[in-house]
Amino acid sequence: MSNVVFFLASGLALVSSVAMVTRRNPVYSAVWLLVTFLCVAVLFLNLSAPFLAAIHVLVYTGAILVLFLFVIMLLNLKDSELGEEYPLSTRLGVAGMSAVLFVGLSFPLMTDPSLDVAIRAQPPEYGSVEQVGLLLFQTYGLQFELVSVLIIVAMFGSVVLAKKKVWA
Amino acid sequence: MISHYILFSVALFSIGAYGVLARRNLLIVLMSLELMLNGVNVALVAFGLHASPGIGAAGLQGSALQGATTGTAAAQVFVLMVMAVAAAEVAVGLAVVISVFRTRQTVDTNDLQSMSG
Repeated sequence: MSNVVFFLASGLALVSSVAMVTRRNPVYSAVWLLVTFLCVAVLFLNLSAPFLAAIHVLVYTGAILVLFLFVIMLLNLKDSELGEEYPLSTRLGVAGMSAVLFVGLSFPLMTDPSLDVAIRAQPPEYGSVEQVGLLLFQTYGLQFELVSVLIIVAMFGSVVLAKKKVWA
Repeated sequence: MISHYILFSVALFSIGAYGVLARRNLLIVLMSLELMLNGVNVALVAFGLHASPGIGAAGLQGSALQGATTGTAAAQVFVLMVMAVAAAEVAVGLAVVISVFRTRQTVDTNDLQSMSG
């Protein structure tokens, strides 16, 4: 069952991500990216990470993708402003390079026998809100605070960068 | 199979790398970056699950090492950090795109060459 879910979700995610990087209009790319994110959330559920799946949907589709769509609509790009694309030969060359990257990264992983094992059944509390929350606030409390500082700085930075006249 | 998930995450990463390198629209370059981060997240969760002994691990259930077995969900905390950094990155990146578009009226990366000697 979980295998069927994996092949459906991962296949759909790969198809929609290829569709995302090849669309000319960023709005279509954003919609394909939405499909990819939802499929990745399904995979997180399959990997016994229910809390992470919920947070993934909230942060990626709820915040990041909405931010993308907001900026796309704010810029309101006309067809001439979308820019040109590289010629087909360049794009095919880069696709070949990406394929080499894929093979180079996956070959050592695929030939490693220790990875060729089925996923072990986990206790029901693995990946639950309680467990991840305890880890986050007790074991990794300092890192949590540092990330919150990073987000504050990024928030101020983006406000300053996107303001109309910075030094006025 | 753990290796299937790793293969999927490598594929997602490679597709994202293609998008970053082969596209000239800044918005799509940023979206492809998000795709690459997603691939890394899937790999992290899969490896975390791989490192966890699981329910049938002999001699660990109920012992002093119980905390250690469940503690491997630390990979998921790590993914949460990656998500937070991705959110910060995309906020700053989109602000840069807005200010670039405001000064140059373009989002084409090849038009942004004023720093190249």
